[in-house]
Amino acid sequence: MPLAFDWTQLVQQTVIGLASGGVWASLAVALVLIYRSTGVVNFAQGEMAMFSTFIAWSLVHQGLSYWAAFFLTLAVSFVGGVAVERAVIRPVERAPELTVVIVTLGLFFVVNGAARWIWTPETRSLPNAFSTRPIDVGGVAFSIQDLGTIGVSLAAVALLWLFFRFTKLGLASRASALNPEASRLVGVRVSWMLALGWGLAAAMGAVSGMLAAPALASFDQNLMQPVLLYAFAGAVLGGIDSPLGAVVGTMLLGVLINLLGTYVDWIGSELRLPVALAVILGVLLVRPAGLFGHVAEQRV
Amino acid sequence: MRRITYLCAGVFGALALATVATGAASETGVTPTQILIGGTTPLSGPASAYQSVAKGAAAYFRYVNARGGVNKRRIKYVYKDDGYDPSKTVDGTRELVQQDKVFAIFNSLGTEHNLATRSYLNALKVPQLFVASGATTFGKEYKQYPWTIGYQPNYHAEGTIYGRYVAKTSPKTRIGVLYQADDYGKDLLGGLRSGLGKKAGLIKSKQSYDVNDPDVKSQVAKLKGAKVNTLMLFATPKFAIQSFVYAKALGWRPKVYVNAVSSAANIMGLATAATGKKHTEGSLSIVFLKDPTDVHWRKDPGTKLYRTIMKRYQGGNPNDVYAVYGMSAAHTFVAALKKAGKNPTRASVMKAATSLNVKNDPFLLPGMSVRTTKRDHFPLDQAKLQRYHAGRWVSFGGLFTVR
Amino acid sequence: MRRRSLGIVAWLVVVGAVLAAYALAPRLVSDFHSRNLAEAGIFFIAIVGLNLLTGYTGQISLGHGALMAVGGYTTAALVVHEHWRDVWTIPLAGVAAGIVGFVIGLPALRLSGLYLALATFAFAVAMPSLLKKFSGLTGGSEGLRLLEQAPLQVTGLSGTVTVLGHTTTQNHFLYYLAWGIGLLGFGLAWLLVRGQAGRTLRAVRDSEVAAASVGIDLAWTKTLAFALSGVYAGVAGALLAIQNEIVNPLSFTFLLSILILVGAVVGGLGSLPGMVVGAFFVEYLPDLSTRVSNAQGVPDFVYGAAIIASMLLLPNGAGGLLRRLARPLTTRLYLRP
Repeated sequence: MPLAFDWTQLVQQTVIGLASGGVWASLAVALVLIYRSTGVVNFAQGEMAMFSTFIAWSLVHQGLSYWAAFFLTLAVSFVGGVAVERAVIRPVERAPELTVVIVTLGLFFVVNGAARWIWTPETRSLPNAFSTRPIDVGGVAFSIQDLGTIGVSLAAVALLWLFFRFTKLGLASRASALNPEASRLVGVRVSWMLALGWGLAAAMGAVSGMLAAPALASFDQNLMQPVLLYAFAGAVLGGIDSPLGAVVGTMLLGVLINLLGTYVDWIGSELRLPVALAVILGVLLVRPAGLFGHVAEQRV
Repeated sequence: MRRITYLCAGVFGALALATVATGAASETGVTPTQILIGGTTPLSGPASAYQSVAKGAAAYFRYVNARGGVNKRRIKYVYKDDGYDPSKTVDGTRELVQQDKVFAIFNSLGTEHNLATRSYLNALKVPQLFVASGATTFGKEYKQYPWTIGYQPNYHAEGTIYGRYVAKTSPKTRIGVLYQADDYGKDLLGGLRSGLGKKAGLIKSKQSYDVNDPDVKSQVAKLKGAKVNTLMLFATPKFAIQSFVYAKALGWRPKVYVNAVSSAANIMGLATAATGKKHTEGSLSIVFLKDPTDVHWRKDPGTKLYRTIMKRYQGGNPNDVYAVYGMSAAHTFVAALKKAGKNPTRASVMKAATSLNVKNDPFLLPGMSVRTTKRDHFPLDQAKLQRYHAGRWVSFGGLFTVR
Repeated sequence: MRRRSLGIVAWLVVVGAVLAAYALAPRLVSDFHSRNLAEAGIFFIAIVGLNLLTGYTGQISLGHGALMAVGGYTTAALVVHEHWRDVWTIPLAGVAAGIVGFVIGLPALRLSGLYLALATFAFAVAMPSLLKKFSGLTGGSEGLRLLEQAPLQVTGLSGTVTVLGHTTTQNHFLYYLAWGIGLLGFGLAWLLVRGQAGRTLRAVRDSEVAAASVGIDLAWTKTLAFALSGVYAGVAGALLAIQNEIVNPLSFTFLLSILILVGAVVGGLGSLPGMVVGAFFVEYLPDLSTRVSNAQGVPDFVYGAAIIASMLLLPNGAGGLLRRLARPLTTRLYLRP
């Protein structure tokens, strides 16, 4: 037994946590996108991402390479997201928020059920995008896969940021979210901006799923359910209206959960999640808008 | 003349009485043409993949019915959805007993689920047959619950097999255990300790995980950190595959024991594809069913029968070893029913189920028999060890019998 | 003078009809089916509680299933560990859940909307893990089985229940118990909502700043709303434990919280009568979904599609529809000179 503090273990668990967080980050960004455009948390985001992962699997099964399947799935998911918004969200655009939340809950079951019906519930796997050969740095092991996962998430967020900041469409989208009335007055098709938001979110969700499947070594229809929870928590921690916050939040959450599980013995496996969630709540009580979020002004 | 009349009347009367008597004494759920049994299984929700246990059994019953049934009765097998929620199991089971008036409860899935209904069924003297769970309690507590009987080799026994084997073949190794934090994982762990006996101290690290955890990366890292060189995977397929992959990612290659639930050939295939042959080579497990995805059984008549039944009687996905399990359980039920005679009662079927000696189950390993006695409520308590070699399981050694 | 008496007569007819339905319903269905009706009653209680919190006070809760777990486990623990009789545990279960609800309500003071949603969501998701952890009290992953303490229960293995010398089947007893408590809870909520308290709750829902500016103590109101709502959920959970005779972590997952929320929204937030519709919706929908087809995934698909369809057709829930239909009647009732 080492007498001195095992730094290797600490760094190792931190690295593992960052890699786990990297998987959840893209889904968290998807949640942020929907929240910014529609004002609710889309509880079906994880299932939509899972469905995209199955599409990717089918494409690979047909013979496409991983990356060809990846980009094709992104396109299909984008269209799917737009279609979902047009079909079930648009009709309740003006309804109370909770109505929309219930619709997303219904969507959760619809998408999950559809995925179980179309593809039988066998355990499958998606090929690795990156090499899984372990690289050892001073006793701490990680792989290109871990780096690649974090890298792809960050790249996706960066692309989104560029889109929102530097393109006309992105500007219109941001305007619609901030002030729909004024945007309509200057000619922005606000309704379609919402659909765009859902399309982009679906694509981000697909990224998350296609990273999660190889990172978790296998997948089935339950792939994204735990991920949704962590993504939600991470997004809120980072500030629900900030994509960068979502990425930082989930990575921090990943590290937190791993370190808690490693160093606090009484926690054990059953309590890692509740304790991590309690910590997040603690943060929110101090900073109600999350780390990077903005507190909205309250009009009477 | 009068005497003959009296004699005829007497015989006639006796016959009439006998007919009336047997008709009146007809058991719940039994008619001259049908016998109704029921169970619960998760048809919806996250555990719905396990419904193949029910579907495989249903297909087998359809096959038996197509060939005339048992004693001219067809077996009607009804299964209700419980969404893997024990309170729905209670509800569904009560409905089967009170409303549908089934003859027996058969093949209900889940440990907590069957525990939830056990007292009720035993109090009402309804047979709780061939519980689809590996928990030891279903066979062990027969004195308190004589109407309940399990089926598969129980988890404790499985762990004991591993423990004994390790104690015998690698008495100086360092053992690490990854186990699911519920009865299933704990049962396996308990069996392992039991099998190791005095060498229980070989277990140097135990890491548990919760089904809702997204991954077991940190647990595997901790096991490696404890310098373990024999790894026991008492985990479900998703986490078992992860363990292989994360071990490789950490540059660690222990000797692995995979519990039966996760040892199906397609699961091992996924693990091998993700890590390369080296990392799954030499893994050990036990086996008692003929895995339909195992090349070894492709030409086997039992497996061919299985595939034929699955196809013709809508059994579902034939590459699912759980369906084989269901079919074997159904086969055993039919054997018990036949043994119970022309007019089965709940008591007579229970008696038959606790005095089984079935040697011809086509879905179990050759040489295996389904045996029960009044004191042995474990129908299947045999298994073989198998070793994973060059991408396939190869069984070795003889049949272990463990209680 | 005539208007007033019309109002009173209408009231009496409605109340009479409700009581008649309550008394006679079990005779119209099979004995076992009374159990399903009883379960609808249990959901009704939880949904009314959630409606008070979300529909009237505007505080979202995604964790009502977890509050039901508190109630259910309180009952189970008292029966199994302390050998209480099952029905006598109901008030205590309600109080226990009410206390937990109060504690949950405390973060509501600082958080609102999305953040409260996350907090209650986290509570709901964490509940099974918490239940498994404290296994000495909760029985861990096996849960607690009340039936094994049968001799001491009001319900039990005999299949019949004798109350005050009157014997009835167990299923009928569960029905009368659940809906009896349900009607009581409904009446209480009705009185609350019609009075000063109701106005306070609605003020907080519509605008917290405005409410505070007229002197409403936001902290007390919110936490009390959570507590009261928790009491309802706890009672519902206790009844669930008594009906099923077991409690298990698998019965109190996030899915239960979703079910209660769906029931409240489909019933119509802010409408108490709508809650009956909501209760029957969540009671019968899962079963009907499996009847459509047994094929993999189809029950879940049908379940979700039905939920979406009901929201698209009735965005304000059944309550919204009921309100529109009943407008002529209620306008009369409330036009007092």
